[in-house]
Amino acid sequence: MKGGWNWFWKGGSILLLAYVVIRGFSAPLQPGLVSASPSQLSVAPQSVLLSAVGQPFANPGDLPSAFQVVLRSGDQLIKTEVTEVSPHSVRITLDVPPTMPSRALDAYLFTPAAGTLFLGNACFVESAAKGDVPPAFGATAPSPQEPQLGFSFPYQPNIMESIRNLLWHVPMWFAMFFIMGLGFVASLAQLRTDSVDWDMRAEAAVKTGLVFGLLGLATGSLWARWTWGAWWVSDPQLNGALVTVLLYSGYLILRAAMGDDDRVGRLAAVYNVFAFVMLVVLLMVLPRYTESLHPGKDGNPGFNSYDLDNSLRAVFYPAVIGWGALCYWMYTLRLRMNRCAHHLLSR
Amino acid sequence: MGQTLHTLRTAGTVARLEWQLEWRQGHQLAAVGLFAVASVYVAFQASDQHTGAAAWTAMLWLVHLFSGFTAIGRLFDRERSNVRRYLQWTAAPLGLILGKLFHAVLTTTALTAVVLGAFLLFLGWPQGIETPGKPGLLILGAWLGGLSMTTTLVFVSAVASQVRSGSGALAAVLGLPLLLPQLILSTRLTRGALADEPWTMLLEYPLFLGALGAGTATIACILFPYIWRA
Amino acid sequence: MNALLLLNSLEGFFFGSGKAHVVTGVALIILVGIAVSLWRMDRRLGQLEKESRPDQH
Repeated sequence: MKGGWNWFWKGGSILLLAYVVIRGFSAPLQPGLVSASPSQLSVAPQSVLLSAVGQPFANPGDLPSAFQVVLRSGDQLIKTEVTEVSPHSVRITLDVPPTMPSRALDAYLFTPAAGTLFLGNACFVESAAKGDVPPAFGATAPSPQEPQLGFSFPYQPNIMESIRNLLWHVPMWFAMFFIMGLGFVASLAQLRTDSVDWDMRAEAAVKTGLVFGLLGLATGSLWARWTWGAWWVSDPQLNGALVTVLLYSGYLILRAAMGDDDRVGRLAAVYNVFAFVMLVVLLMVLPRYTESLHPGKDGNPGFNSYDLDNSLRAVFYPAVIGWGALCYWMYTLRLRMNRCAHHLLSR
Repeated sequence: MGQTLHTLRTAGTVARLEWQLEWRQGHQLAAVGLFAVASVYVAFQASDQHTGAAAWTAMLWLVHLFSGFTAIGRLFDRERSNVRRYLQWTAAPLGLILGKLFHAVLTTTALTAVVLGAFLLFLGWPQGIETPGKPGLLILGAWLGGLSMTTTLVFVSAVASQVRSGSGALAAVLGLPLLLPQLILSTRLTRGALADEPWTMLLEYPLFLGALGAGTATIACILFPYIWRA
Repeated sequence: MNALLLLNSLEGFFFGSGKAHVVTGVALIILVGIAVSLWRMDRRLGQLEKESRPDQH
């Protein structure tokens, strides 16, 4: 009975992660507008090319008349003519009237299948006209539509394809929190009972958690390079993450420095309790009260800013369970190793 | 009730003992002061009097940090071993840590005054700043930052003192990562006070520093009896 | 804008040219490697436990 359950959750974690890898890398990204060229508009009739990334928003045979592009400044809508459609771009023509003052324009692309694509500050009008309010052009826009696409991940500006990292980076930190929490409980129990077994549990938890913490740092660094442009930035969340990893490295250094001193269990437990309290303060309290680039922080406890849609949820939750179970499996292995070593040494 | 009284009495005794120890072994106090002033002088020589606010802040906190390590890092292996054994048998652990904390707070206050004073004497304010926008907040920040570092250092030095080999180096290794958040908050506060940023932006830093210091002191008090009994 | 255009071409390169399948394949191979090594470790520890404490298993 017990063997069967073991097989189930250990194999299950691997299967879940295989599903996450395959689904996570093969699901296409919903299309999103990234640029308008030229982005500087003058007061004259002209043509602009809007390009998109992600899966195609149009099929090769589609008629330009099925698409609509509206440029917006404040409350004013500027109508354009779609002249040419390819899978990843549309060409529009528009006539900027001389009464239009200098303005930044947002672009909305209405597609039959892929919903409404948006690009903020797509182009800028350079004009000599004075005045605060742009003239009304009397254009009306179709109402925005949800995409009618298959299984696909939502487009986010700047994040783009790297949204797949959500399935690695976030669950790895969750797994670290989970296993460090287990270590914290074990250390509390060690302080209460002074037993070697609880100490071995705490040590195994910290070692496993440290692996996942380092993986979380590595995946986070990759993501920062892509979205923020640097491998590392000074940010409360990132500072907290680095300090956490250093703290738990300190736990291992403390153990190593103690050698086979028989007070190692108690002292390590004391340090571990302190470290976990600091972890909670550093990663869950401080970043929430100071401004942070990191999503989910800055007074916002969840990560709704990711717009977890149903497709993403269908992969994200298995990823959380899969990484958590894998982490727990690694922890049990380390613990059994510790127990065997202890048993052999004390024989 | 009797327990509380015993704890308080221990705290008073330990604080007094530390105080006496400080004066009787005058060289320790002098060593910390010398370290602080000499570091400031090195900073002064290296910076050639054209220091911007960022570099000024960085040097101030580096000196403050390492002076703190020198002063507090060995707080728990100063007594002679027979005194230590006597304390181990008779003192209430909570009273002991309270006494040590009290002493550390006094030391840090003096240290902050020495470091800031030496900084102003040698380097003056950073280049381009006649007088800082909020001198009171700058001094308060230096003191609070020092205090919140000190409470953590007391805990670290208590842990490190239990390790027989090389506890000084161990205190540094364990302490530096633990002090990073305090240092980040402190440096931001100092730079903000120099640049006269509005109160609404700066007020959170002293609050966080105070909370961190009080929090770490509380955890240290809760956990210390376990270290001491080991 | 320039940076975005740069990303744009890279996006097309990564996903449009089937590089994503290579990434999936490599990730799967790593995952299988981890699974096999963990499973072997698990089994070896089981044997070790049996040898050291025959009364409990």
